[in-house]
Amino acid sequence: MDGQISESTVKEKTKCQSLSHNNVRDLVDSVDAFLFDCDGVIWKGDSLIDGVPETLETLRSMGKKLVFVTNNSRKSRSQYAKKFRSLGISVTVDEIFSSSFAAAMYLKVNDFPKDKKVYVIGEEGILEELELAGFTGLGGPEDGKKTALLRPNSFFQHDKSVGAVVVGLDQYINFYKLQYGTLCIRENPGCLFIATNQDSVGHLTDLQEWPGAGCMVAAMCGSTQKEPIVVGKPSTFMMDFLLKRFNIPTSRMCMVGDRLDTDILFGLNAGCRTLLVLSGVTSISTLEDLSNHIQPEYYSSQVSDIPQLLSAATL
Amino acid sequence: MRCKTNVNPNFIVLKRDMSKAYDRASDESNGVLKKLDRARKVSVNRIFLHFTGVIWKGDKLIDGVPETLDMLRSKGKRLVFVTNNSTKSRKQYGKKFETLGLDVSEEEIFASSFAAAAYLKSIDFPKDKKVYVVGEDGILKELELAGIQYLGGPVDGEKKIELKPGYMMEHDENVGAVVVGFDRYFNYYKIQYATLCIRENPGCLFIATNRDAVTHLTDAQEWAGGGSMVGAIGGSTQREPVVVGKPSTFMMDYLANKFSISKSQICMVGDRLDTDILFGQNGGCKTLLVLSGVTSLSMLQNPDNSIQPDFYTTKISDFLSLKAATPTRFIFVLFSYESITWQVAVKPSLSYIRTLRHRSRGPFSLIISPFLQITL
Repeated sequence: MDGQISESTVKEKTKCQSLSHNNVRDLVDSVDAFLFDCDGVIWKGDSLIDGVPETLETLRSMGKKLVFVTNNSRKSRSQYAKKFRSLGISVTVDEIFSSSFAAAMYLKVNDFPKDKKVYVIGEEGILEELELAGFTGLGGPEDGKKTALLRPNSFFQHDKSVGAVVVGLDQYINFYKLQYGTLCIRENPGCLFIATNQDSVGHLTDLQEWPGAGCMVAAMCGSTQKEPIVVGKPSTFMMDFLLKRFNIPTSRMCMVGDRLDTDILFGLNAGCRTLLVLSGVTSISTLEDLSNHIQPEYYSSQVSDIPQLLSAATL
Repeated sequence: MRCKTNVNPNFIVLKRDMSKAYDRASDESNGVLKKLDRARKVSVNRIFLHFTGVIWKGDKLIDGVPETLDMLRSKGKRLVFVTNNSTKSRKQYGKKFETLGLDVSEEEIFASSFAAAAYLKSIDFPKDKKVYVVGEDGILKELELAGIQYLGGPVDGEKKIELKPGYMMEHDENVGAVVVGFDRYFNYYKIQYATLCIRENPGCLFIATNRDAVTHLTDAQEWAGGGSMVGAIGGSTQREPVVVGKPSTFMMDYLANKFSISKSQICMVGDRLDTDILFGQNGGCKTLLVLSGVTSLSMLQNPDNSIQPDFYTTKISDFLSLKAATPTRFIFVLFSYESITWQVAVKPSLSYIRTLRHRSRGPFSLIISPFLQITL
């Protein structure tokens, strides 16, 4: 061991335990609500991860509340409920907390004036949630078809009544939208810059990772030189809504996610129990890497380990 | 305040930012600024009639510049044009100047598109590797001239992706560098392609032509700049790029090597703290900020601002009355585009050039960036 970092130092840092039949009962018994991230935990793209329906059923049958907290802003809560149903899982709208919903709620709790508009660099989910909350949204997928002409005398117009720009994952991102959002933030006095989340990449399809909202948000930071208000994980903004909905202390909630800097950090910041699953963007080597300072309480391969280990524990 | 007239194309177009320079009260600058404020506010229209200096309006050159260049060339001086713009190659810029009546050779132009190719050459980028380009034609042309294989560019702006089960984007494993610059054809396909290359091809470089937040592509307003596209790729890869354009000193080092001069013999004059002035400082040059462009005195003096030029003045012609710390013998003086496109700057700057030349005892060169470097 001479010349190496002392093992005891390394071990101290790694407080994270592998979920096993020895500790799973303790965890489940001390938790009243399980908060699940979706991408990389429940599904990958449109493909369900093995054993998810059974896991959710088992937990429900044990009287546990289930909540789905996703940073993916492409869909609204009701669109997510629909996706769950299409995958054979029954989930109600108020069990879902998407960052699209969080963005609309942020504007609501901060009394965003109804005569102001919101420019959206993102997809349908954000527009739908804004509409549900009574706000006027501009932009979105439609602007993905627009181009910005750059002839010597052309002038790019933007709506001066835009009071907030909401940026999320946008597969229809283009120069037009970047320019529109930039002008709003730079020129409309007091215009808010809101980010649904800052995930760099995510499993938008089952086979590979794709650029996430972190990309579009960073693009806007690059042109406005401003930092956004982040409403999704790891910000605990959404937790306030969860607490109102479920009268459960955060210490009796367990956040289950695949990403350290959003899901696990969210859980840690809010005072929840935390379980990292390796079925998404994080590998065991990333977790154990010395540069990683975010330690979940437990880790496991995938969520279906919970019922499996529970039944192993009872044997 | 924005004043525009279509009557005579030689009339001045006042940029919004520049008019603010006049509205700013300043108790610490010299009296010239104040006098000018009053003069400006009262007689804006008269100024239009008196001065025939024209700002680069679309593709119109500043009055007086061709004559200045001819005069200096006749004295055996050389010209160099420096810009962070990466949409054109040096050859394309050369052609642009040609149509405006300026005879400029490619070796005299330094655009950030050229800087990217020059950087790759300077690190002996392997011939069997390719470059993926998130940017426009200028970068492609410069890579081609440098004999570097490339993929991407504007054509990938047409490509679409489908986020559905079983769909997978393939990428060329031989891509050894991704070059990102200003890109009007930016889209999700390119972001993903670039992201895959950087994340999955071992040792793949991430190079940015520049990180300018906004760019003045048209006279009338600002446009989201290269900093936006670079930010996007940085956001998805969580990596920092190597920046080859201003304020990185790569172009400065290249200029210094090329002209065999010491960088302390260069004075950078510009209106932007975060590009021109920082560029000069990082390169070991002296710096002079003019307040006639996008930077105001309050911005300069703001406690959040950490970039302090050696000198500052209202406009170039004020340099004569400025109480400079030590007279310095400059060989190169770089002027930013905006510092000479203000309507009153053209004539005084010619007399200033003569004054400087008188003062200097040795070889003397004047660089007016992004379009002029005059070696006297």
